[in-house]
Amino acid sequence: MPILSTAATGMMAQQRRVEVIANNLANVNTTGFKRSRAHFEDLLYQTVEGSERLEGTETGTTEEVQIGRGTRLAGVQRVESQGPMEATGRPMDMAIEGDGFFQIQLPNGTLAYSRDGSFSISDQGALVTSSGYGLVPGISIPTDATSLVISRAGVVSVTLPTSAEGVEVGRLELARFPNSPGLRALGENLFQETSASGTPTLGFPQEDGLGRILQGTLEGSNVEIVQEMVEMITALRAYEINSKAVTSAEEMAEIANALIR
Amino acid sequence: MGPDSLSRAARAFHYWDRRQEAVAHNLANASTPGFKGERVFARLLEGVGVEPLGSTDLRPGAMTGTGRPLDLALDGEGFLVVETPEGERLTRGGSFQLDPFRGVVDAQGNPLLGDSGPIVLPEGDLEVTPQGEIRVDGSIVATLRVERLDRGAALHREGGMRFRVEGRTTPLPVGEAKVRQGHLEESNVDPVGALVEMIEIQRAYSALQRSVLVVDGVMDRISNDLGRVK
Repeated sequence: MPILSTAATGMMAQQRRVEVIANNLANVNTTGFKRSRAHFEDLLYQTVEGSERLEGTETGTTEEVQIGRGTRLAGVQRVESQGPMEATGRPMDMAIEGDGFFQIQLPNGTLAYSRDGSFSISDQGALVTSSGYGLVPGISIPTDATSLVISRAGVVSVTLPTSAEGVEVGRLELARFPNSPGLRALGENLFQETSASGTPTLGFPQEDGLGRILQGTLEGSNVEIVQEMVEMITALRAYEINSKAVTSAEEMAEIANALIR
Repeated sequence: MGPDSLSRAARAFHYWDRRQEAVAHNLANASTPGFKGERVFARLLEGVGVEPLGSTDLRPGAMTGTGRPLDLALDGEGFLVVETPEGERLTRGGSFQLDPFRGVVDAQGNPLLGDSGPIVLPEGDLEVTPQGEIRVDGSIVATLRVERLDRGAALHREGGMRFRVEGRTTPLPVGEAKVRQGHLEESNVDPVGALVEMIEIQRAYSALQRSVLVVDGVMDRISNDLGRVK
C-alpha cells in the first residue's frame, strides 16, 4: 500500500523539522549562532493512468493521473541574518557587524571559521577562543599591558606602563566565502570550508565589503523564540494530520478486506 | 446487474484509492514551499464506469516572510525557470542558494535562469525588485524569467518541485510579474479540507463495499436458490 509510505514520509519530514527547531531553541543564547530551517520538496511522481488527451481540456488539466509519493528533506539551510548586538564591556569580546568570519587555528593544524568573538588571552599572551584555539593571524598581547583597544577596522593596540601612547600589536583579518551558508558546522561555534562554500578570501575589517569590529560587544543568536514556537506548533499539527492519513488508509484496507465474508 | 456491476464497482474502488493516495501525498507536502496540490476526479465512461483523471491545483499558497535574500516568491501568476540536465523546467518553489561560484541554484543545484541564462551574482548587496530585476549594489545583473503556460499546455510533475511542460510557455508581460524577495509561497494544501476529503473518501468506500455485498447476495440467491428443485 503506497499510501502508508507516502504518509510516513510526511511524518518523518515533520520530525526532522522539529529536530531542527529544537536545535535552534537550544541555541537561543549561543554567541554568533545562526538559525537553520528544514526545507522540503516533493518526491518523484508515478504516472498511474494513461495519457491520451481530452478534447477541450483546460490549462493544467492532463488526462493522465500522476500520483506523488510524499515529501523529502531537500536540505537544512542556515539563515545568516545578523544577530542582535549585546554589549558586554569585556575588552576581548568582539562582534562582527556585517560580513566575515574570524579564522581559528584548530589543534590538528587546519583552519576553522567563527562568528563567535568571545576571546580570551592565553598564558602565552595570545588571543584564543573559549575552547583555547588560537586566532589567526596570531596577535600577542604583552603581559604587562594595562588596556586593550580594538578599532572598528580591526587594529589591536595596547597601552603599556612605560608609555602613555597606545602601541599597535596587530590587525585582525576576516575571511569571507562566496557562499557562506555552504560551510559545515563543526560545533563549538566553528565552521569548516567545504566545496559548497567555496574558498575564502581574506581581508581587513571595514574593507572590501567586510564587516566592522565592535569591541566589548558580542553577536547574539539570531533565533527568535516566538517564531520557533509557531513553527513547532505547525509541525506538530502537520504530523498529526499525516498520521490521520495512515489511519484512514488502514481503515479503507479493512473495508476492502470485509468484501469477502 | 451481475458480473458487470461488480467490475464497475472494482473501477470505483480503484478511483477512490487514487484519490486517497493523492490526499496522502498532498498532506505529506503540507509544509513544502511552492507545492501545488494534486486533484483526482472522475469521468463517467458510458457502459464502463468511472475513470480517474488528474489535475494540478494551481491556486496560490500563502506568503511567508523569511528574510532570506534568495527566497523568491511569485505573487500571482507565473513560474520561475530552472535548467536541469534534461532541459528547462518550471518551478514555484522559490528557495534558492549560491553555488561555490556564486551562481544562483535550487536545492539540487539546477541553475535559476534569467533573460540571458544562468544568473551569477557579483559580491555586494542583493536586491530583487518586484519586476524581477536582480540588482547588486543598485545595478541590474539580470532579469528573472517568469513564464506562464500557453493555452493547451500541460504540466507534468517531476518531483523536486519541478514541472515539465508539454506545450509552450510565454514570458509574462513586463510589469505583470510580481516577485517578492525574502518570501516563500507556502504549500497550497488545505489540511482541514484534506481531512474532510479523507472522511468523504472513506464513506464512499464503505458505501461501495455495501453495494458489492448486496450485489453478491443477490447473485448468490440467483445461482444457489432460484434454480433449486425442491
